[in-house]
Amino acid sequence: MKLLFYYLIFPGFIFASVIGLLTVWLDRKVSARIQWRQGPPWFQGFADIGKLLYKEVIVPEEAFGSGFIAAPLFGLASVTLAVTILCVSLFNMSEGFIGDIIVVWYLFAIPAIALIYMGSTSGNPLSSVGVSREIKLLLAYDLPMIIVIVMIASKADSFSIRAIMDWQRINGSNISNWYGIIAFVVAISCTQAKLGRVPFDLAEAETELGSGILLELSGGVLAVYELSKAIMLFGLPIFLIILFWGKGIIGGVLLYLLIIVLLILIKNTNPRVRIDQAMKYFWGWMSGAAILAGLLAHFGV
Amino acid sequence: MSKEVMKDLREKLKGKIIDIVQPRKKRIYIRVEPKKAPEVIEYLFFKYKCKFCTATGMDIREGIEIIYHLAREDKNMVINVKTLVPYPNLEIKSIGKKIPAFRWVEREINEMLGVTFIGHPDMRRLLLADSFPKGKYPLRKDFKHSDVNDEDYDYERSGL
Amino acid sequence: MDVLKKAFKKSIWVFHLSTAGCNNCDIEVLELLTPRYDVERFGIKLVGSPRHADALLVCGAVNAHAKPRLLEVYRQTPKPCLVVAFGSCGCSSGIFRDSYSIVGPVDKVLREEDPDVKIVYIPGCPPKPEAMIEGIVMGLGAI
Repeated sequence: MKLLFYYLIFPGFIFASVIGLLTVWLDRKVSARIQWRQGPPWFQGFADIGKLLYKEVIVPEEAFGSGFIAAPLFGLASVTLAVTILCVSLFNMSEGFIGDIIVVWYLFAIPAIALIYMGSTSGNPLSSVGVSREIKLLLAYDLPMIIVIVMIASKADSFSIRAIMDWQRINGSNISNWYGIIAFVVAISCTQAKLGRVPFDLAEAETELGSGILLELSGGVLAVYELSKAIMLFGLPIFLIILFWGKGIIGGVLLYLLIIVLLILIKNTNPRVRIDQAMKYFWGWMSGAAILAGLLAHFGV
Repeated sequence: MSKEVMKDLREKLKGKIIDIVQPRKKRIYIRVEPKKAPEVIEYLFFKYKCKFCTATGMDIREGIEIIYHLAREDKNMVINVKTLVPYPNLEIKSIGKKIPAFRWVEREINEMLGVTFIGHPDMRRLLLADSFPKGKYPLRKDFKHSDVNDEDYDYERSGL
Repeated sequence: MDVLKKAFKKSIWVFHLSTAGCNNCDIEVLELLTPRYDVERFGIKLVGSPRHADALLVCGAVNAHAKPRLLEVYRQTPKPCLVVAFGSCGCSSGIFRDSYSIVGPVDKVLREEDPDVKIVYIPGCPPKPEAMIEGIVMGLGAI
């Protein structure tokens, strides 16, 4: 019963979606201010979701109907679970919730797989181009991030979230060392790619492909997808806070805002890259930097 | 320079043309019969090394007057070949059969003015919609807007 | 349901569709997204697919080529939706009224498909941005 409360109300679905939609608003407002415009009002995220629930859902004839509607729900459920696990550890509400960091990272990967499934069952050739790009991007950014996660877990000698946070409380946070700074740069790039934001938004919202994978979604299905994206925007910075700072709620809010501002600045100052440039970036430079960070961590710098 | 061009053309095209005039310094107008038009143009294009600019068609009372505009940039001349295709059979041999550059403009003259080009390899609609009714030619002088009603459009042919 | 209807008015996603026009109105639409007349503060944004759209912005007089495609895009937009007939050509075919290839202004074409389509008319050649914003606000008030 308590688990259901954690999953659905706090810090699960309702809490995460509220904070996530407010973060989406913050992103749009800060981007607008950078471009010297006013931005949307604070309830914009909620208005978008409400409007999408008001419209009808059109399922195209060539699409595989049940998969089309079930896949985004899977994505939403798994990302909510991941955020619940993270927040329970962060807010010290322990009752045997020894979360595994690898489990959380792959729960975050399920929405991307749901997106691939949605794109393939759409029955539209533009969606299939988006699907092929998303698959390549998923393979690309997984590698450096896994190297970073394994490096941090091996420093703390355990994969559980609680152990990583305790290790950092004792030995100083990971970011105050050289390996931490390099690994943080790698992690920020991988986060930007996972969230599907510029410069790596080539699969999802694509003006050259007429919105790519999302082409055939409408109404409630799109609302579920937008909500899962908002919850992921809330969950991934918290993931980074746990990996690199290990602080709880006290310093956590400021660090959360700092990471969000970094993501917004990267979004506003960069163009979109091609898929081969993205793969060269992740498998070349970022993997090299992650391996370098791993070696520095091994020698204790 | 223009005097040489005039002399040259007058000699070489002796029996094939009706007349040849030079109203301004850089323009030459050659009038031909519709039967002789392909020969003259092929001579000008291949042997005399002119470049093809465009072709225009106009509906005058006796028929449809087609002017082919060719140019020689090194000698600063534009050579226009005029033919009058008389009513009621509007037929002329197609030059697009041998020279691909003429194909599109012949398609346009066919759909807008109704001239049949015999031997054209690919006679389809160029600018008008496929659903526009056949047999109506918009750029003729006796075409009115009320000739084509909404019911005449056949959207089955539009390919959607 | 009322809450959702209020939410609908606060976030309209627009799909821009250009039928046979001179493209001047298409360029003027971009002005609304600039800092001077920012419409994102009303929650309006441009989307890339008609399935995400709440409003169809139709520029240009409708051609015989464009008519079946305009009807197809209208069918693919999830209802409830709003149609904006943009510019003089959209409202009444403008100066192209007696041309041989124009099959009618936007409302004549769309009323064949759906007789109670809601259309907002924004005249002008091209309309001024202030006129565009006034048209949008009037349209939102009439939903």
